[in-house]
Amino acid sequence: MTALYIILISAGVSAALSVLLATLLIVAERYLVNYGQCKIDVNQGAKEFDVRGGESLLAVLRNENIFIPSACGGRGTCAYCKCKISAGGGPLSPTETPLLSEEEIAKDIRISCQVKVREDVKLEIPEELLLVQEFTAEVERIRDLTHDIKELRLKLIDPPRIEFTPGHYVQLEAPAYEGNPEPVFRAYSISSPPEDAEHLELIVRLVPGGICTTWVFQHLSEGDDVHFTGPYGEFRLSETDAPMVWIAGGSGMAPFWSLLRHMKTHGIERQTRYFFGAVSKRDMFFLDEMKQLEEELSWFRFIPALSGDEPEGEWDGERGLITEVVGRHVDSGDGLEAYLCGSPGMIDASIAVLHEKGIPDERIYFDKFA
Amino acid sequence: MKLTPLHEKVTQRMQPGVLCLEGFLGEDRRPLPEIIDADSSAVAGMGLTHEQIADELSVVLRHAMAAMGTPVEVQQDLSAVYTEAMGRIPSPWPGEGVFAKGEAELTDTRTGTTVRFTPLSVHLIRAHGFYEGKGARYRLAPRTIAAMLRLI
Repeated sequence: MTALYIILISAGVSAALSVLLATLLIVAERYLVNYGQCKIDVNQGAKEFDVRGGESLLAVLRNENIFIPSACGGRGTCAYCKCKISAGGGPLSPTETPLLSEEEIAKDIRISCQVKVREDVKLEIPEELLLVQEFTAEVERIRDLTHDIKELRLKLIDPPRIEFTPGHYVQLEAPAYEGNPEPVFRAYSISSPPEDAEHLELIVRLVPGGICTTWVFQHLSEGDDVHFTGPYGEFRLSETDAPMVWIAGGSGMAPFWSLLRHMKTHGIERQTRYFFGAVSKRDMFFLDEMKQLEEELSWFRFIPALSGDEPEGEWDGERGLITEVVGRHVDSGDGLEAYLCGSPGMIDASIAVLHEKGIPDERIYFDKFA
Repeated sequence: MKLTPLHEKVTQRMQPGVLCLEGFLGEDRRPLPEIIDADSSAVAGMGLTHEQIADELSVVLRHAMAAMGTPVEVQQDLSAVYTEAMGRIPSPWPGEGVFAKGEAELTDTRTGTTVRFTPLSVHLIRAHGFYEGKGARYRLAPRTIAAMLRLI
């Protein structure tokens, strides 16, 4: 019995010493280690500033109003905050390795939230990220589009206006709430047209167990303030006059809803067939709005399709997977451009159909929910 | 049971609100190794391996994903539907990459039994023999899932 007590006490003392040591290391790192002033050079002098070393690169950039997309709030789990570090990043950490491909590692790509600034750093990010701003807005309206999709209409407060291109997205901050201890950020395509620069609309589909969408569906109310950064993204209309095929499903409607109204306002007339897939009628939305636009715009055709077993008489539109419907309607991809927005499965299957129709990769543009 | 530092870290990442809102352990208060050991014993007791179960779930997942949200019969009397969701979720075990966030719902139409799982669930079963804690959203009790997949 005495031996057992000795073993238990030894184990307890050992564990306590380990915890104490770890705590001391964290405290020492936080308060005693002085990395001094470090110079941060973004995009070869496009922006330069000095910071006190010790913080993560992502945090340092954010403090300087440079917003690199990040979903996990710097926990090193989402792998979105990648940037190229040409000098001063230190060795690759074990938390970064699994999130980077060999090709990315060879090109000095790093996970910025996992890189601690300890010396002068030179990094490169897409030029447009330097234009990203942080916004505060008030929720002006929340409306149900379907049983699991909501539309948020935000009135911008600070800054009061936003400039973006249809196809751009923002990173909405879900604050800490009961069950969610820390803020997280999630990307949503802008669904309002850029002409309404004082407002922003987003289409949000509920993700079961999702941190941000649960907040939107269960905690967010009209009149609340929200924060987001943006605009981000490269998904946009090309500058050609090629006829187009659009393919989307669910909240993938967002960029096309923005683009369509933008095209109408500016008289951009390109032959467009918009294929929108859903499982059942209760998953469909904007049918009346699309019908109205079909009547107003001679160049636009909306082709909704249901893949589920909707009863006869309940639906007189197309039936089948959206890829099958596209296959039936598009005879040849000659000269066509394709724009896709939706889930990875839908996009991958659609790209396969578009290839069969002869549309090469360079004329397929997509925004994948990934 | 004393947890290794790795198990401590994984357990912390499995808590609600860390990687996902509800976490991976449900109301299960057993230490992680105990949950894994109990399920491993159940799987071995049925004469199966984690790989076999993960392989079958992968097949279900592939069929369901190809149907893009439409219910599909993956075996006789076994229907599945996959709901895609934005984003990716990392494994609670550090360094194992990220996985698509959608979920598959599998229903045995003979018995009405329904379970839900994700691409990450399949990975966790294959790599760690982890079927999630009791009461967790994506808990797959080994005997239930083995019976549904007609493995026993």
